[in-house]
Amino acid sequence: MATPARTSLSDLARGYRFPAISFELTDDYVSRYLDAVEDASAVYRERGLAPPLAAAARGLGALLEVLDLPDGALHVGQEVAVRAGLPIGATLTLAGRVAERAERAGLIISVIEFELTPAGSDAAALTGRTTVAVPARLASGGGS
Amino acid sequence: MSAGRVGPVVKELSQAQIERYADATGDHNPIHVDEAFAQTTPLGGTVAHGMLVLAAISEMMAASFGEAWLTGGKLKVRFRGPARPGDRITASVQETARQGAGLVYAVECRNQRGEVLINGTVEVPAGE
Repeated sequence: MATPARTSLSDLARGYRFPAISFELTDDYVSRYLDAVEDASAVYRERGLAPPLAAAARGLGALLEVLDLPDGALHVGQEVAVRAGLPIGATLTLAGRVAERAERAGLIISVIEFELTPAGSDAAALTGRTTVAVPARLASGGGS
Repeated sequence: MSAGRVGPVVKELSQAQIERYADATGDHNPIHVDEAFAQTTPLGGTVAHGMLVLAAISEMMAASFGEAWLTGGKLKVRFRGPARPGDRITASVQETARQGAGLVYAVECRNQRGEVLINGTVEVPAGE
């Protein structure tokens, strides 16, 4: 199933699978991420590994290139599990799906499950679940 | 490993930092970067990305556990309240338990008023 440009998350049914997205966890990106979160630890450079949340945030950012979130959308929960280190410079492929969708108290709550798999590997290095709540009045047609 | 050896991490948030995070990750939701828009919302002003605040917890764990966190860490959190430019956030460990092959910590982030912004659990392999 092809994804139209900028699909609205709240319009996607449970079970919907996003097209795979690949990106490089570049040294430049990791540097800009660490600068933004003001994490000066040397451990990442010493080990050649990216912070797990840098990889997760990059993956979610890639999803936002094809996924429209209304301006009133709220990120209400996050899970991340690291299965293997994420080397700086690695090319990762994100596979994601809408794992849950529910409506309650005027909110549409969607859970996106995703995994990041390094090129050349069959096993995900990081898995995650992101919970987003969108006010139902903003769900169709985007935010203000 | 005891909880006393982990954290805390304290950060002062600024709008410039929020904008750097938006630029780095590609999340330019106006609730984070457009003050005029944000003032029209129930939040009343810009707020930091939840993942930016959460990074303080990950930093705390990386500082304490190094490669074990980078290769086998887990977290599960809820975002409970907004962090705003000018806020001073503190990430800390509340409790510790051994669970199977891992150490499990109850963690949280609070602002300078003591309001909980994030809470949940993190797990790290116990190691040798």
